[in-house]
Amino acid sequence: MQGKTGEGKKNTVLELATFFIGDALCGIDILNIQEINRHMESTWVPQAPDYVIGVLNLRGRIVTVIDLGKKLGLSPIQKSKDSRNIIIDSKDEHIGFMVDRISDVLPAESNKIEPAPANIGGVQGGFFKGVFKTETSLIGVLDIEEVLKDK
Amino acid sequence: MIFEDDETLQMYIEESLDHLSNIENDLLLIEEAGADINEELVNNVFRAAHSIKGGAGFMGLSNIKELSHKIENVLGLIRSREIVPTPETINTLLKAFDTLKDMIHDVEHSNGMDTSEHIVALVGLTAASLPDDEKESVAGILNISIEGKANLLTAPQFDIDQAKKEGMTIYLVEYDLIHDIHRKKKTPLDVISSLINSGKMIQSKIDIDAVGTLNQEIPTRIPFYILFASIIEPEIITALFDVEEKYVHVVTESMCSPAHEGALPEPDLFDILSEESPETPDIPEPESIPFDEPIESAQTIEPVSIPDPVKEDTAETISTLSKPATSQTSLRVNVDLLDDLMTLAGELVLSRNQLLQGISLKDKRTLEIAGQRIDMVTSELQEAIMKTRMQSISNVFNKFPRVVRDLARDLGKEIALSIEGKDVELDKTIIEAISDPLTHLVRNAVDHGIESPEVRRSLGKDPTGIIKLKAFHEAGQVNIEITDDGKGIDGNQLVTSALKKNLINDQEANLLSDKEKIALIFLPGFSTAHQVTDISGRGVGMDVVKTNLDKLGGIVDIESAVHKGTVIRIKLPLTLAIIPSQIISVGNERYAIPQVNLNELLRIPAVQVKDRIEKVGNAEVVRLRGSLLPLLNLSKVLEIDNFYVHPSDGSKSSDRRENIADRRSKYSPPIDPPESELPETQPDTPDETGYTPRQIAERRRSINSAINIAVVSAGPFKYGLVVNYLRDSEEIVVKPLGRHLKGCQGYAGATIMGDGKVALILDVAGLAQMAKLASIEKLDSAGRMPEDPTQAQQDKGDATSLLLFRNGIDEQCAVPLAMVERIERIKVANIETVGGKKVIQYRGGSLPLFSLDQVADMKSLPESSQLEVIVFTLAGREVGLMVTPPVDAVDVVVELDKTTLRQTGIMGSAIIGNHTTLMVDMYELVRAINPGWFEGKANRLKPSNQHPLVLFAEDSDFFRNQVKGFLEDAGYRVLEAKDGLAAWDLLEQNADSVSIILTDLEMPGMDGFELAAKIKGDERFSHLKIIALTSLADDEDIEKGTRIGIDDYQIKLDREKLIEAVKLRLGK
Repeated sequence: MQGKTGEGKKNTVLELATFFIGDALCGIDILNIQEINRHMESTWVPQAPDYVIGVLNLRGRIVTVIDLGKKLGLSPIQKSKDSRNIIIDSKDEHIGFMVDRISDVLPAESNKIEPAPANIGGVQGGFFKGVFKTETSLIGVLDIEEVLKDK
Repeated sequence: MIFEDDETLQMYIEESLDHLSNIENDLLLIEEAGADINEELVNNVFRAAHSIKGGAGFMGLSNIKELSHKIENVLGLIRSREIVPTPETINTLLKAFDTLKDMIHDVEHSNGMDTSEHIVALVGLTAASLPDDEKESVAGILNISIEGKANLLTAPQFDIDQAKKEGMTIYLVEYDLIHDIHRKKKTPLDVISSLINSGKMIQSKIDIDAVGTLNQEIPTRIPFYILFASIIEPEIITALFDVEEKYVHVVTESMCSPAHEGALPEPDLFDILSEESPETPDIPEPESIPFDEPIESAQTIEPVSIPDPVKEDTAETISTLSKPATSQTSLRVNVDLLDDLMTLAGELVLSRNQLLQGISLKDKRTLEIAGQRIDMVTSELQEAIMKTRMQSISNVFNKFPRVVRDLARDLGKEIALSIEGKDVELDKTIIEAISDPLTHLVRNAVDHGIESPEVRRSLGKDPTGIIKLKAFHEAGQVNIEITDDGKGIDGNQLVTSALKKNLINDQEANLLSDKEKIALIFLPGFSTAHQVTDISGRGVGMDVVKTNLDKLGGIVDIESAVHKGTVIRIKLPLTLAIIPSQIISVGNERYAIPQVNLNELLRIPAVQVKDRIEKVGNAEVVRLRGSLLPLLNLSKVLEIDNFYVHPSDGSKSSDRRENIADRRSKYSPPIDPPESELPETQPDTPDETGYTPRQIAERRRSINSAINIAVVSAGPFKYGLVVNYLRDSEEIVVKPLGRHLKGCQGYAGATIMGDGKVALILDVAGLAQMAKLASIEKLDSAGRMPEDPTQAQQDKGDATSLLLFRNGIDEQCAVPLAMVERIERIKVANIETVGGKKVIQYRGGSLPLFSLDQVADMKSLPESSQLEVIVFTLAGREVGLMVTPPVDAVDVVVELDKTTLRQTGIMGSAIIGNHTTLMVDMYELVRAINPGWFEGKANRLKPSNQHPLVLFAEDSDFFRNQVKGFLEDAGYRVLEAKDGLAAWDLLEQNADSVSIILTDLEMPGMDGFELAAKIKGDERFSHLKIIALTSLADDEDIEKGTRIGIDDYQIKLDREKLIEAVKLRLGK
């Protein structure tokens, strides 16, 4: 909810949970995040879209795990000791985003988030709500619903 | 605007809906009874309307109150027999109740709904029933005053008059919300409901003025006035009211004064006070409202009536509360059941404690006991909780009387509906889900099933049609039957329609059985209505019903006879949330197959794979008790990399067999004859190397090489699902899959296994669709094809007469009937074994006896005292083949598969009557046993003829191969042609070398007669002899042939005679 108001006039401060997909630094409003874990034991679902890694059991709920790299059109996530599953709560459903590595949580003033360009590091701009510049880096703020759209 | 707190409102809504739930049926019964009124029933409905009214008044739901009040009036008149419940009256009431229900579902907006239509209709009914002088009382309103308080409340004159007529006394009771109700821990609703048990509530009102504003002192008393009519005498009434005597007033004439004339919906205090006072269109002029309460008081009420001063909040809570009320958020549960649950929960806690203790003490024994207890308690708990979800099917059935009645009225039909098994219980999700499909079916029955009374009369049927709804338990499933005695479904009409819509083709249509014709109605895109009617047509039809039921794991079956009626049977599982299922695995993952879809588990030992799994066209099938079952390889459908686990060392290697029956390695001993030209049975990948042939042969016999098949069915599909392993049967909890996986057809959901990993639940019907499997109906007809000789003639040319017999119980074999001399039954005891060969004394000689297992790799004959012997004449002698009965002759078209089951003595296989049938080659068989018998003949030919060239035209592969075989064995060279044209071309190309022509008569393109005529008519070839081959030579054909110049006729498979004839004709 706060993410949306960020596009409006009001100036609110978002907490952005940031993470890496390959070399690209992306962020998600922390309020969308249920938890971040290392649950890697997913069950493969044959015939599923290729960006779906599988499903896993998160305390009795079935969570679809998505390879965020593939979903965004980047190279697939390499499973390593750094890779993490970011569990998102969206439309009464838990969905896991597999990412290469997680980074810091940054406060971001919503009026400092600029509209996303057509392409950010090889990813279509449509997946982003905007970009947030820090002194050292450029963070693409993901539009969760856009990413989760099942075509 | 709404006074009470959410909880009370919610309670009111539930109670009202409860009251309303059975009203329709009661009203319909009242209608049926007509003038002969069943007071009990009328009272039921009356009470329902009454309590709804009472509550509504209190809640400030003026519209609801008003409508229910008017309904009550009409019902009162019905009860007192002043109105006869005609269908029109009942119709008005039903519609009014419908609106009432709508309003209660949406309480929040009820005051804004337009009820004028119903009010007018109801008032009309009431007025029409009264004598003229009383008519005005219908709309009249009285102000009622008590000492010191003028116009305390208003009440319709009609109610007061009616009550007085019934000998009731009218009381005005003054409750105090603070002392009488709140302090006594009651709610106003309690008071009202206790009162209406002993009388009639006419009006109620809370004196808001008495509360004052926030600026004033806290009031000590908030009066709540109730105008109540009862037959109880004034002396004892105070006991009922439970208030001090001074607050009970008997209303006398003097206290009443007429308020206003005209058909005014009596306004309610709360309407006036609330900001959103509805502007009912009926109100002529707002200023005529006979209330002395000033409008300003609206400002004063708000802060007081609602403890929370923020109005928006309340509105929000109410809106969230009232919305789910339509989709039923709460459930009534039997108290006993709740107690059981509590006990179980207690036990669960105890077991947990025990478990924790066991863990901390590391005491295995305690842990075991705790584990057992938890196991027991959870299953009991599960059962108990499931019970709370069970609801009676009457929830769905109860709406049908109304549906049927209304539809029947609209369509001018007379229909009696009978309902059986209302108390059958089903899980609430299923109840919700079957409501629509059932409604559709019932509507269909009324609309398309039952004929109009005239038609029925002309057919000699009772003009009143009967629709029966029946629910019952059977075999752990709930069965629902919808029966009508209407016009039934005309299968042929469905076929015509399906053809027109290109849903099936001519060929398929010809093969359909009556039942399958009717089942066409389930095809997507099929709607039977000649015109799409508003009632049930709409272009979506039975296919949607079927899909919906399939989703629930239900089965629907339809049976119909023209002019007799239709029966639709539905089978449903009791519950969906927790289902028993079979766990299987493929690759590295486990999958669950719901037990409802599972028919049986099949394990085909490696040694039998070759025999039992066959290919029909492109599909693999397994023979299961005489029928062919299509096979789906789960790993292939889902495109899972399959693994083959080596039985001895457990090592995994990928399994890339194309066909299930394929050998895993080229090193395994060949079963096919080496000349077999079927590439797909050749090993496709030598995927394991390094084993000696013997090891591999052993592996084929290892139990791990067996094929595991789960035989499953869902709706029209029945097939065998080939899996790697069959694991346990488990009760699983169904969990939905996320939205990204909705596109996967093959899954019905997911579940969590004991080890915490997720397993997918397979959707049997979905998998079949993915694999584009033909439905069982179609498959059946495919299997049946050869059985229908006339059909077969049209399609495939000529049929062969075959003699079917069995070798052992399950191996069906056949020989051409033309070769058979006789069939004899012999006693096994009479068989003599002489010189290593079996013979029997027969017609003064010795008949040599053979059995198939002597040559072919087949089972030996089962032991019995008698045997059938088929006697053939071969190479000039008689031989007997010992077989197992039954022996039967059939005329079929044979499509010979020469490779799959080919072996010595067996020329191949064909499917006859759904059985894979081995075609026995007697020559080969006998020659294999007694090679010497044939030598003389074959040799005799060779020196005298330079391998004469025979041109042979025949369209059937089976015959062509057979006859070609005979001829080549006899030493001829053969030119094959598939039809007359091809034969002619070949003849022209080989004009010099062809010595004789053999031709079939029935062929596509150019038939045998034409070919013969052409040959005889061409001077280059007219000298050539033509022998016609027929399966059944009839005189007419022979005559026609002779005219053309055909030289000879021979029966196709009579080898000896054919060879003789060829020799004879060549010799001339």
